[in-house]
Amino acid sequence: MMHLHLTHRMIFIVLFYSLSFSAQNPRVLLHLVNAKLSKAKTYSVDVEIKVDLPYITLQPIQSKLYVKDHKRFKLDTKRIAVLPKQGFLQFNTLLTDSIHYTALFQAFEIIKSVKTVVINVIPNSDTGDVILAKLWIDAINQVVVKTQITTKSSGTVKTEYQYGSQTAYGLPDKIEFLVDVKKFKIPKALSADINTSGTAKTQKKTGVIQVLLKNYAININVNDSFFNSDKKN
Amino acid sequence: MLIKCIYNELLKIAYKPRSYIGIAGIIIINAIILFAMKVDGSFYISLVTGQFEQTLAFEGGILNGNLVAFISIQMLIIHVPLLIAFVTGDLISGESAMGTIRLLLTKPVSRSTILWSKFFASAIYTLAVILCLAFMSLTLGKILFGAGDLIVLKFDGLVVFQEQDINWRFLCGFSLAFLSLITVATLALTLSCYSENSIGPIVATMGIILVFTIIGSMDVPVFDRIRPFLFTTHMAAWRYFFDTPLQTKAILHSIFILTSHCVVLLGIAFYKFNRNDILS
Repeated sequence: MMHLHLTHRMIFIVLFYSLSFSAQNPRVLLHLVNAKLSKAKTYSVDVEIKVDLPYITLQPIQSKLYVKDHKRFKLDTKRIAVLPKQGFLQFNTLLTDSIHYTALFQAFEIIKSVKTVVINVIPNSDTGDVILAKLWIDAINQVVVKTQITTKSSGTVKTEYQYGSQTAYGLPDKIEFLVDVKKFKIPKALSADINTSGTAKTQKKTGVIQVLLKNYAININVNDSFFNSDKKN
Repeated sequence: MLIKCIYNELLKIAYKPRSYIGIAGIIIINAIILFAMKVDGSFYISLVTGQFEQTLAFEGGILNGNLVAFISIQMLIIHVPLLIAFVTGDLISGESAMGTIRLLLTKPVSRSTILWSKFFASAIYTLAVILCLAFMSLTLGKILFGAGDLIVLKFDGLVVFQEQDINWRFLCGFSLAFLSLITVATLALTLSCYSENSIGPIVATMGIILVFTIIGSMDVPVFDRIRPFLFTTHMAAWRYFFDTPLQTKAILHSIFILTSHCVVLLGIAFYKFNRNDILS
């Protein structure tokens, strides 16, 4: 009995120190997260995209998403869908590129009762698009819970991830993007909306794009040409 | 008797070369739009989505037959009334100018029946023009570009309609556009009762449309009270079917205003035509 108690204690101490070590060494933690993600090279998943954006009215759409090497993705749909321009797979790129970025530990933070390690990722060069990325990482499950990526081209995109069925691969069941949308204004002549006057009613500037993911098919064969095929528009 | 008179009126319309100008115009303009969209459609798409391009990426086939049809109708529906007036403004005044009105009125048919037959003939012609527009824009558009979701550019944002939610909207939109064109046809027919040459009613109809459109499109408070009652304000009412949620109240109001115009204008036409001295 005494021996079993001692073993539990030892495991706890080792786990605690390993977590603290990885937390204090953000590169190690990023590497662990990346290693988990790398288990799934190519995968497909059924997605449902729900959009709640200012100036855009769009019904939810169901589609299939294909991802290869966490760098390339293709939404296989003829329906019109809206996704954030940045942030969809951007943190994966940051995780894999350990040479061009500096990772700094910032703090511990509780998000939805999950203790997370906040890591700032700063590019070494100022010529790239990414200015700053902030990652909230669940060190126990080694998954990214939240990101806040600021780019020159798209401003700041906040993303939250929820995990369930595929935590072992670090793949989320739900992604929520919080995006800033600039004021929409076009000339009447272009819209030909001649009977409408005044300014746009909505004052909201941020919107949410929610992506629900289910039925993952992991490590499937998808040709590169599939990702290169031209979009219709 | 009325049906026979309508048939005669349709024959007259069919034998006049000017009746084909409108249909030819629609075919040519539509062909130009289809060609332009096929060659440079992505430029138009960038105008639509460009406002969001910094933050959002649009996936899927935006450029499709439904969008091309919507653009075609949007561009043409403003000009079609002029093409309609070209034919309907000539129905009575043209006969007065040629002197055939005297012969027509010697028939054992009431003047009201003759006027009804001209009204229905102009309605059938208008329907033919609308069907031509629908075929050229929707059918050819879908053949050339394929079907897909429709993205509608509005003054205050974008609305995306699912493919299965579009056809009924186009059908209702065309029906309301038909009603607005019937109003124009009735105006031209009414003015035709007051003239003995065909140019007058045609130009007068075009002038009225032009003035009312200018009043309607000016964002000046002084016109706010009269704007809702101008028929030209409701000529773009077909677009209400591409709003979400559907603006039922606005649609019914437009139908009421357009129908009221038709009834009043027809009343004036009947009053005038039944009391006209035939001097030509």
